[in-house]
Amino acid sequence: MTLLENLQHANPALWSPEWLPRLPQRLVEILLQSCGAPDWLVTLAGLFVAAGTVVGVFLSAFALLSLIERKTLARAQNRIGPNRAGWFGILQPVADGIKMLTKEDIVPAKAEWLLHLAAPILIVVPPILALGVIPYGREWVPVRVELGLLFFFAVGTLTELSVFMAGWASGSKFPMLGAMRAISQMVSYELPLMISALGVIMVTGSLSLPAIVAHQAGFHLGFIPAWNLFTPWGLSAGLIFYVASIAEANRCPFDLPEGESEIVAGHMTEYSGFKYALFFMGEYLGLFSIAGLGVTLFLGGWQAPLPGLGLVPSWIWFFAKLAVVIMSYLWIRATFPRVRIDQLMRFAWLCLIPMALLTIPAAAIWHYAGGGVLGWLATVPLLLIPWVVLTVVYNRRLAPTTRSYTFADS
Amino acid sequence: MTPLALLLTFSSLLFTLGLLAVLTRRNAILILVGIELMLNAANLNFIAFWRYGPPDPDLTGPMFVLFSIAIAAAEAAVGLAIILMVFRHTRSTDLNRLDSLHG
Amino acid sequence: MTPLLILTPLILLAALGAVWNARPVHAALLLALALALIAVLYLIIGADFIGLVQFMVYVGAIAVLIVFSLLITRPGDEAEELARRPRSLVTGLACVLPVLAILVYAVSRVVKFPDAPVENPSVSIAQVGQVLFTSYAPAVLTVGVLLTAVMIGAALFARDPGKNPQFPSDS
Repeated sequence: MTLLENLQHANPALWSPEWLPRLPQRLVEILLQSCGAPDWLVTLAGLFVAAGTVVGVFLSAFALLSLIERKTLARAQNRIGPNRAGWFGILQPVADGIKMLTKEDIVPAKAEWLLHLAAPILIVVPPILALGVIPYGREWVPVRVELGLLFFFAVGTLTELSVFMAGWASGSKFPMLGAMRAISQMVSYELPLMISALGVIMVTGSLSLPAIVAHQAGFHLGFIPAWNLFTPWGLSAGLIFYVASIAEANRCPFDLPEGESEIVAGHMTEYSGFKYALFFMGEYLGLFSIAGLGVTLFLGGWQAPLPGLGLVPSWIWFFAKLAVVIMSYLWIRATFPRVRIDQLMRFAWLCLIPMALLTIPAAAIWHYAGGGVLGWLATVPLLLIPWVVLTVVYNRRLAPTTRSYTFADS
Repeated sequence: MTPLALLLTFSSLLFTLGLLAVLTRRNAILILVGIELMLNAANLNFIAFWRYGPPDPDLTGPMFVLFSIAIAAAEAAVGLAIILMVFRHTRSTDLNRLDSLHG
Repeated sequence: MTPLLILTPLILLAALGAVWNARPVHAALLLALALALIAVLYLIIGADFIGLVQFMVYVGAIAVLIVFSLLITRPGDEAEELARRPRSLVTGLACVLPVLAILVYAVSRVVKFPDAPVENPSVSIAQVGQVLFTSYAPAVLTVGVLLTAVMIGAALFARDPGKNPQFPSDS
């Protein structure tokens, strides 16, 4: 069949805005089919184009985010931020990219060059793999995996090994200390992350991310979306997931591994040029993937927030929610100071993990109570009372007393 | 050679490699590496028999491997905790030097 | 069969490196590579759940634990290990080769199963969950108790004894 006939016989919805992100993949598949290519080549080429679409979208989002972050932080700190490279600094990411690419690549003499080279490459691989299973729209899931959520967490654990490789292969003290801190932080905060996702899996009954999004369709009382965040266990699990995701992505206030005022740049100290850009890229892509997962699990993925807004393509809703979540990350970075390593560990093990464990029976009680007023009445005390005990009562002993300044007060 | 025979031979070789590590290594942590290889070889046997053996609706192979992985994780955690405690006390992980009970 | 034939020598090479490499961190990282390749093997065979769990637990937790303790204990001086290599290799092989011979003999005596399935069996996660919590429920509870005991033990090991020394080894 010729190309024109193939295009005519294609699904008429192909040209709708809903299918816009899938358009390159479908066009390449139709082109190859009309050339008479074998089936496996058509599928392989389609998958390549789908992967290329995802990577292209998120790399340009990464470039844009680096600029938006600097401008947001600057405005929060009462200054302007980059505005020299182009109108409002819009070409700043291009300038940054050129700078990173043309910098000298310094490898310390005591470093192991093979591991030193492999670490930044290995740190970019897990976020890109994880971005492949998130449902971005009704028709746009790059790869449909039945065990999608398990796959996401499994590739997320690869980041820790790459951080260790980066820290150890540099052969100096600051990177090794930074790597130790980074690994202990990541391992501690992975538990609340995974346990808070367990409630969602339990209620949905499936590990597949498109199924989790489809479960959150519909509206309560006509206008409140049936997202997981608007249930008591979902609110608790969502907040725990949010805080743990900030720690997993090494963002402020949990950016002890890369605290610039303490250990230079942590495990990235001995890296320059493009390798440092790869670390930077890995961190931001990891942020995108884990924020995307949070949106999928708790904010309903690509579901519209109000009943009449189904006309807007679903992937626009996903990216709007993702933008809101990422803006909140930037806001938090501009506001909070860094936590200490012992405060960090204490918070993870003594507050987040017990609360995350409590969301599981809360989700079960909610599911079997049918989700109405009875569900709310049963689960809210179960979650609220331990939270009050853990955060208010238990910490009264640790809370700092009012400081008195001898010289300033007199 | 059937896939089953290939996988069984391969897992025997993996087991002997792990055993070699346990017998010849001097660092306590690297002995744990050998133990993990031996456990993985046994897990691979279970999965090979589940996949290429008679059909089993009870999922015995994967279930056994699941529990084996969980117990291997627990054992690695406790083993490393003990090694680190001994290291804190004697500043060494060399097994040739840790040959007396009273510090 | 072809993916198995490609993957199996790679896993053996990585395991050989883990067992024989004199530098501890390299050995630990090669172990992580071997475990990751074994997870890929499980995925190719069709044990999807087990492959992902293997990746998450072995590569993501156990290998990280091993490299973390290597980072803390900072072993050095591979010269001593390399010096004893010839003798330790001979004695090691003398102990290990009979075991290999017995295992290969046992493998060669395995009866060939007549109706091995050609395509990978499809096991859904719902099936896994059902079997796990009905037939294997006692095992799940026991493993839960075991893991709790392990956590308590590890936390006891890691506590700082300076505040209240209770054992003679603490002071």
